Amino acid sequence: MSITLDFNGKNIAKGKELALHFLPAKINGDGEANVDHYFNNYTREATEFGSGILTNALRGYPLMGEKLKVPEGYRGLVLQETEKPISYSSDRQLRLTGVFQDFTFWNYDKVPSNGDPYRQALFQADVAQALAQPITEDDLEAEIARNKENANDSP
Amino acid sequence: MSKKATRASKPKADPDAEGSAKMSKASALKKVLFMSQELLPKDADDGHLRLERFFHPGHGKEALFMTHPDGRIMEFVEYAEPRRSWLVNSEVCSNGRIYMTTPVDPTLLALYHLRKHCAQKAMSLDNIAVEEASTSRLLNEILDPENLKCVADVKSSGEQKFYRYNQERTLAWLALKTRQVVRILKEKQVHCGHSAQSQNFVRSEKLAAENVSNEMDYTRMACDIVGRYLDADLHGLLINYLHIPSEIQAIVEEKAAAQKRKSMAGKDEGSDSKKIKLNDSDAAAKLKSSGLVDSDGDPNASITSPTAAPLKERSLTAKEKALAKGAKGTKSIASFFKVK
Repeated sequence: MSITLDFNGKNIAKGKELALHFLPAKINGDGEANVDHYFNNYTREATEFGSGILTNALRGYPLMGEKLKVPEGYRGLVLQETEKPISYSSDRQLRLTGVFQDFTFWNYDKVPSNGDPYRQALFQADVAQALAQPITEDDLEAEIARNKENANDSP
Repeated sequence: MSKKATRASKPKADPDAEGSAKMSKASALKKVLFMSQELLPKDADDGHLRLERFFHPGHGKEALFMTHPDGRIMEFVEYAEPRRSWLVNSEVCSNGRIYMTTPVDPTLLALYHLRKHCAQKAMSLDNIAVEEASTSRLLNEILDPENLKCVADVKSSGEQKFYRYNQERTLAWLALKTRQVVRILKEKQVHCGHSAQSQNFVRSEKLAAENVSNEMDYTRMACDIVGRYLDADLHGLLINYLHIPSEIQAIVEEKAAAQKRKSMAGKDEGSDSKKIKLNDSDAAAKLKSSGLVDSDGDPNASITSPTAAPLKERSLTAKEKALAKGAKGTKSIASFFKVK
């Protein structure tokens, strides 16, 4: 089975720019909401916590947020599946809903910092990059020779 | 979000819910994806990207990978925090995950199949696991056979090429991979030691200046990261190859070193303790002059003051014990990197 991403370069170039908020809450439900009226209206800048720090509230719980860019080298996409898969093994298709360059990251009552799990998770991308970096045969031969030498030094 | 705010756990009838009847029900979950720009299709006539399942040796089962029509491959990982959701324009999206494509070396994935099938005899790639569609696709369409030289002996007869798994080359290759990871961990100043775990929470500028990190801590962490793509037994061989002592052993050693420091500190503190201690001779003189001791009666009797007893080794105070206990369960940074 496989999942096809049903779009090409042209679709992405023409893709609708979306405004995204990454909320620190579990919401049991999907669907339309009056986000502009009940949420975006209340976003304030809180310069006392630093430049670019925003505040808002969700159900009375204070939020602190910040506009974040999609990590370097990446493009933000929102995908949606139009049809429910019939079974686990059937082929599926994901369609492009829109694209984004930045989004608002919200923390519950905490100024966003490098301590956030989200930012720490992004190291994964750098680590994976380093791991995937190919190794030349010369380096490999050198390593094998070095290892043999070490083994001889300390039998 | 803190544990306090578990509003979701006790649903209440709220006035806003009245409007829910007219809310359009989303047909399926939206997915927020960080897509590597290298992998993005450039033109309109480019083929479509696909998500395919391949066996992931680190997970022991199949996992999703993103493949480009030209055969490039990336791992498809998801970042999930327990309580997160998205607002997309004016829509609520309960799927609060971020999907991401991260580079992966298909040789690592092929290694599992090589060890399984080509440990005893050399085989050509199109003869390995012919009955498994995903495996033969990985080996024949995605993998660059040139890279297999790093982990296998290559024998060619005419057009055909045969591969045989070579453990010595594989371990050397994995060790080099580990070193690449060590380099990036240092560059990004990821804190790897188990000794100062609390610093995980905020990576302050100070940390960069203080070079407390230990080479072995970095190697151990990098080896664990590489090990996430390997079978458990191959990971074990790599640990041996890199001469990494087990983490428990390292913790014990470190504790022993810390205790040594502590007991020395205790001795220093003892000298300026608040209690006034009398010298042995002073005490004896005072006792004599006080007339409480009949010294004339027994001249040989020596007078010992209670302070003469040897100092016992300083044990941990209750406060220190509590601190040590508190630090025990601290999350290590590796827990944030878990591939979901």
